Amino acid sequence: MLRRTAALFASAFALAGVLVGTAALAPAMAQEPKRGGILRMYQRDNPPSASIHEGATFSVNAPFMGLYNNLVMYDHAKELDSFDTIIPELATKWAWGDGGKSLTFTLQPGVKWHDGKPFTAADVKCTFDLVQGKKEDKLRTNPRRSLYDNVLDVVPNGDHEVTLKLGRPQPSLLNLLASGYTPMYPCHVNAAGMRTRPIGTGPFKLAEFKQNEMIRLTRNTEYWKPGRPYLDGVEMPIITNRSTAMLAFISGKLDLTFPTEVTQQVLRDLRTQAPKAICHMGPVNVSTNLIVNRDKPPFDNADLRRAMALSLDRKAFNTIIAEGEASVGGTMLPQPQGVWGMPKEMLESIAGYGPDIAANRAEARKLMEKHGYGPGKRLAVKISTRNIAAYRDPAVILIDHLKEIYIDGELEIVETGVWFGKVARKDYAVGLNLTGNSVDDPDQSFFENYSCKSERNVTGYCNPELEKMFEAQSMETDLEKRKRMVWEIDRQLQEDVARPIILHNHSGTCWHPEVVGFRMANNASYNRYRFEDVWLNR
Amino acid sequence: MGAYLVRRFGLMLLTLFGISVIIFTLLRIVPGNIVDILFDSAGMVDPAEKQRIARELGLDLSLPQQYVAWISGILRGDLGYSYVSEKPALEEIAPRIPITAKLAVLALVFSVLIGVPLGVISAVRQNTLTDYALRVLSLSGLSLPSFWLGLLVLMAFVSWFDTLPIYSDRITGFWAQLALFSVPAAAVGFRSSALVMRLTRSSMLEVLRQDYIRTARAKGATRQSVNYRHALRNALLPVVTVIGIEAAFLIGGLIVTETVFNIPGVARFLVEAIRARDYPIVQNLVMLIAVVVVVVNFVVDMLYAVLDPRIKYGG
Amino acid sequence: MAGGTYQAELNRAGASATGAWSQAWFLVRQYPLGAIGALIMAVFVLAAIFADAITTQSPLATNPRVSLAGPGATYIMGADFMGRDVYARIVYGARISLAVGIGSTFLGCLFGVAIGLASGYLGGWFDLIVQRLMDIMQALPLLVLALVFSAAMGPSLQNTIIAIAIPLVPSVARVIRSNTLALRELAFVEAAQATGMSEWRLAIRHILPNTIAPLIVLATAQLGSTILTEASLSFLGLGVPEPHPSWGRMLSESAAEYMRRAPWLVIFPGLAISLAVFGTNLLGDALRDLLDPRQRG
Repeated sequence: MLRRTAALFASAFALAGVLVGTAALAPAMAQEPKRGGILRMYQRDNPPSASIHEGATFSVNAPFMGLYNNLVMYDHAKELDSFDTIIPELATKWAWGDGGKSLTFTLQPGVKWHDGKPFTAADVKCTFDLVQGKKEDKLRTNPRRSLYDNVLDVVPNGDHEVTLKLGRPQPSLLNLLASGYTPMYPCHVNAAGMRTRPIGTGPFKLAEFKQNEMIRLTRNTEYWKPGRPYLDGVEMPIITNRSTAMLAFISGKLDLTFPTEVTQQVLRDLRTQAPKAICHMGPVNVSTNLIVNRDKPPFDNADLRRAMALSLDRKAFNTIIAEGEASVGGTMLPQPQGVWGMPKEMLESIAGYGPDIAANRAEARKLMEKHGYGPGKRLAVKISTRNIAAYRDPAVILIDHLKEIYIDGELEIVETGVWFGKVARKDYAVGLNLTGNSVDDPDQSFFENYSCKSERNVTGYCNPELEKMFEAQSMETDLEKRKRMVWEIDRQLQEDVARPIILHNHSGTCWHPEVVGFRMANNASYNRYRFEDVWLNR
Repeated sequence: MGAYLVRRFGLMLLTLFGISVIIFTLLRIVPGNIVDILFDSAGMVDPAEKQRIARELGLDLSLPQQYVAWISGILRGDLGYSYVSEKPALEEIAPRIPITAKLAVLALVFSVLIGVPLGVISAVRQNTLTDYALRVLSLSGLSLPSFWLGLLVLMAFVSWFDTLPIYSDRITGFWAQLALFSVPAAAVGFRSSALVMRLTRSSMLEVLRQDYIRTARAKGATRQSVNYRHALRNALLPVVTVIGIEAAFLIGGLIVTETVFNIPGVARFLVEAIRARDYPIVQNLVMLIAVVVVVVNFVVDMLYAVLDPRIKYGG
Repeated sequence: MAGGTYQAELNRAGASATGAWSQAWFLVRQYPLGAIGALIMAVFVLAAIFADAITTQSPLATNPRVSLAGPGATYIMGADFMGRDVYARIVYGARISLAVGIGSTFLGCLFGVAIGLASGYLGGWFDLIVQRLMDIMQALPLLVLALVFSAAMGPSLQNTIIAIAIPLVPSVARVIRSNTLALRELAFVEAAQATGMSEWRLAIRHILPNTIAPLIVLATAQLGSTILTEASLSFLGLGVPEPHPSWGRMLSESAAEYMRRAPWLVIFPGLAISLAVFGTNLLGDALRDLLDPRQRG
């Protein structure tokens, strides 16, 4: 029955999913795919490790997703990553039972790990145990643990069947499992091993990971999907300077840019310098936001946090960073690409979202003055951010905006490897952050970023009442009803200044026409790097 | 000579010992506990991991014991463990050394090829317009930050050739690598060449004033042959020393240039390790740099002693 | 002696200069390159002092309408990605560069002089140990030492000054020490000793003033290198943090990122660094010739 509900969701998603960006379709697949060749894509920064379950950035997904398989995944050829594009992978089929409180997967037989050991249902259980922190062997960081709180138990039935027992019905669980963040890990490799010498079942094996220099994947000749992958390997030099990387792309030294690193400005350059390149520009379901640590004085004061939210001029951010092409919204990806985005009127009624910036800031200054701040007594604060352009640039704008309300920010730039641990431990006061949503689904967004216990809830926002609503919407099977519940939650999160969302970025990815079979989704950017269907036409 | 060598060698060991003590102390008086820092660098969240790190680092030992453990590790070729890559530090550092070494040698060659002839010309034509122009040129060479020069070179490449020299470990073969490294090496070497030129000029001037040159001239040697044969040979001695000193300064230039040109050498790696707060790596890299500098200076001193008969040894 | 050297120099050149202005004019003619250096430095110092008066835009204000705007009437050196005025940032950046340059040179000289005086005057074991210590510090490249110090202390203006000052100490100490050693043997010191002056008073009253000349030469020469080191540190992201307008920081990732479309982001800050360092180098060379003729090349 829930299967039918899921199908219902699916059709609704399909209707809502209107293509807006400048997505260019890959050339028709009429031609017989060619085998061989090395795909060259740059990597924008040094990934902390090869272990996707410990990653919270697609600096980990993009290079390493090809090493693994999921139980289910999104069809890489479709426009959106949604219910109706979920296809089997390690699970050949699945069935809901027990009134939506159990989900049984039938597993593909004959699958082998890269080291030759067979993949079985026990590995599925091991993966869940690892992510849920039930194993002796712990993940170093565990960003998505709270997503699976509803999974009470994982029961293997023989080698090729496994059942997830749930605490309550959760149709969205399939979405979570289809994300690029949910690979299956083997029982026989420990967490540390997966960081440095990862073993997966995927189309590629890790050949080399030279820190700050190069990541090389090589074809898994024993891959269980017949005829895949087409490529002999993927080569990813780590180039931290975007300009250098784009020049390398233009001059043909790279086949593919790092996903979503093409800004509007860069795109204009590419259109003239590499006119044949195929570019996908659109929403990526990554929001730029302000994070404030609620436990650190003076920011334990709600007035200060509210004043900071009021100081934001979202239009200025949008104009500078995305030439006005980004969208403004709450936590969920705004319409039309997003299914769950709040309606415009609702959004504009929220404090700080109104168009009169001067009035907002005047109100913000009053709040600051109430606590003794003013032109003569300014508040000095470190603004932490990650060392990539997409974080640094808005952080500078943020500092300028905060200046209007007696706050003097100084930037603290943190390397990728340090950043995620730092914010997870709440070892910061104020930060400029980007939050990526791997799938356009409220369960992912709410439980991961706003539930009290989640490691990714970096601001320390905790509202048990609202958390009950998270669960209620998660069980709701009527799409329209669920939407309304989601809007209300989202509005409440913004009113509470949980994590003021500044923008929902639109950005691009480009590749040369020789690259066939690669496509970015229009509502997510974490799930399309298996690279098994990609081939080079040269 | 033997006694001098032994004494000089002893001094070198003493200096290295001192440096190791300073580095060791420095990284232990850093604000914030070293365990917290490594905890940070490894991106860990669970506080229980802290005790594990402390144990692994041997922080339960006394400071002198920790120091002995570190040094004996280095002598055994064990450079510790990187909490970022979770590999032995040696595995991270070793493959980067040849890259930086090639770049450094090429930069030195460049600086000598440019600096010495210009220095000689400047000295021979002392106080002419050529001399002034060359002196201003060398001063401006000393004033250009090498990372800016690197950026300008990149910009020029982009606007003229629409492409960039991009490092790749797939580029092998002498000429291909020479082409790859020559642009960044020139960016680093330019500054050094200015210094080499200045010093060549002043030592050349000093030699030109000396008696035996006058004698040689009086004996009827042509002016040119005197200038170039006698004077240059003698003037090269101090230049050798300078190159030894400059080798140390080169490292500073290499750090920024490897960053600008995206070259994964050991100099840039120091900055990466600092940024990633990977302190075991920082500690060992700084020590490595110190060893290189001190040994180069030792070798230069020895060379100097062999080449220059005027220096007396012993005492 | 400082005054003596300078006066001797004037006399040697046969100048009959008496008034301050004519003396200055004489010097300008005698050391044209040094005069140019002094002029360049004067421009930077004045720009730093009167930054508010000579700029129209705030160096920190972002402006969406002029992101990456080219040089023009309002933004004479263009604007950066965030729409900040490059000219204003360079002018205010002179404050940072000079603050770090002068601050760290001063700090380095202060400690260097104290150590050098003590070491040269006291001699013995103290001298031996201090000399070894200075050797050790000099074995590490300036930038490496500064990098490690600034990383250890965390990036901020104050820490940058300290991080750059520390590596300066040994070279200053060394020069002061050798001067002190030489002066200690001189007659007037012996005479002072005979009159029963205390050692410290002697060192400070008689020896210190006589080391001023080499100190000025050294400090000017170091000023350029401190400015360069600050630029390098900030370029590497370990110096003065955003949003403070540091020239080196302006050239880091963000500028390189737009160097194709906005070359002014690369050209002007680099020119500012180079000119400032060039100015101090010219001035330093001339001062060396004037005050410390023994070192003349």
